[in-house]
Amino acid sequence: MIIQCDNVSKFYKGCHAVENISFSIEENSITGLIGRNGAGKTTLLKMIGGFFKPTSGEVRVFNENPFNNLNVSSNTIFVDENMCFPKNLALIEILNCAKSFYPNFNESMSKKLLEYFSLTESKKHRELSKGMKSTFNMIIGISSQCPLTIMDEPTTGMDAAARKDFYKIILKDYIANPRTIILSSHLLNEVEDILEHILLMKNGTKCLHMPLIELKEHAIGFSGREESVTTLIKDRKILYKESFGKDSFYAVVETGDFQGEAAAAKNLGIDVKTVSSNDLCIYLTSPKEGGINYVFDKE
Amino acid sequence: MFLDNDNLKPIYVQIAEWLENEILSGNIGHDEKIYSQYQLAEMFNINPATAAKGLNILAGENILYKKRGLGMFVSSDARELIREKRKSQTLKTLIVDLVNEAKRLELEDEELLNMVSNVIKECRRSES
Repeated sequence: MIIQCDNVSKFYKGCHAVENISFSIEENSITGLIGRNGAGKTTLLKMIGGFFKPTSGEVRVFNENPFNNLNVSSNTIFVDENMCFPKNLALIEILNCAKSFYPNFNESMSKKLLEYFSLTESKKHRELSKGMKSTFNMIIGISSQCPLTIMDEPTTGMDAAARKDFYKIILKDYIANPRTIILSSHLLNEVEDILEHILLMKNGTKCLHMPLIELKEHAIGFSGREESVTTLIKDRKILYKESFGKDSFYAVVETGDFQGEAAAAKNLGIDVKTVSSNDLCIYLTSPKEGGINYVFDKE
Repeated sequence: MFLDNDNLKPIYVQIAEWLENEILSGNIGHDEKIYSQYQLAEMFNINPATAAKGLNILAGENILYKKRGLGMFVSSDARELIREKRKSQTLKTLIVDLVNEAKRLELEDEELLNMVSNVIKECRRSES
């Protein structure tokens, strides 16, 4: 295991940013850390990266405590929008510096990427726009080819084309040089194709952690007449429900073993539907059952 | 082919079906080597583990076979297996949906069968 977290909590800025999280991440895999704004993604990543010390619990990275740890630092790169580079160095000079810090640094790829994204070598980091900064930080992050690559919301500010390229770059370079990559994002539909695992956070806690290919089978949707759907799913945990029209009803429940119910559903005129990973994550992390409708529902 | 994320089918099922189509159309013949998980991952921009799951489904159904150290190959009866599977599963599901829709519309059996045979005739005509 590259990363091992046991009952990790962090009290930060007056709130429990991360609460009692336990999980482990295996070597050479791409994990997506997904959650809404303020779910605790960044705080968790900063503890893994060795920037924050957990309030309680234990974080192990490469089987060591990452905080104040040179071995972990030299094998880890943490990419986010606040990456701090000397203000007056040109982009090419920053790349050269990065090369001296990271032994695996792929210089030729970094230069090609710089050129591909039309980033002038002589430009200074502070002269870049928000999206270009993200692109440049990503180039450093990928080219470093660190055994542990952490990217916190790497696509912030990038345009649609750059994002698409970014996911291709990650995947191609991961296939060529397998390593452990963690990407945090709130846009699951954008990243899900390249992920192997998903770690979903809600209010500082772990909501689920599983191979992405199992996520689509984790929940199932039923739509039909309210009465028949409610009877069919009466013993199940409802993750989401919505009614529309006179008596049309849609409910999402945990799949479990639903074999018998699929046949029963057909006879009752109920449609069985797969739930997209993105929708499922929205339902799972929604503060209220039924989502935003809660605010607008009449008493 | 573009993978469709809004599609209700998981990506690895879409991969398995695409490979099946490649075999059915004869693009990959029997005892020929099929794409590796890494080739598929690059082609479709998906995680290699997802691609592997697509390949493993077909291996589990004996449509592909493994040669140690060499990768996966197309079985000699792959096309027959795929045809049988699609007939008993995909086609059957489509027919169940068709029958259910007809029931909702209160169609007579006769009427439905007539519609089906008319479509068959139309298809034949446009082919010839």
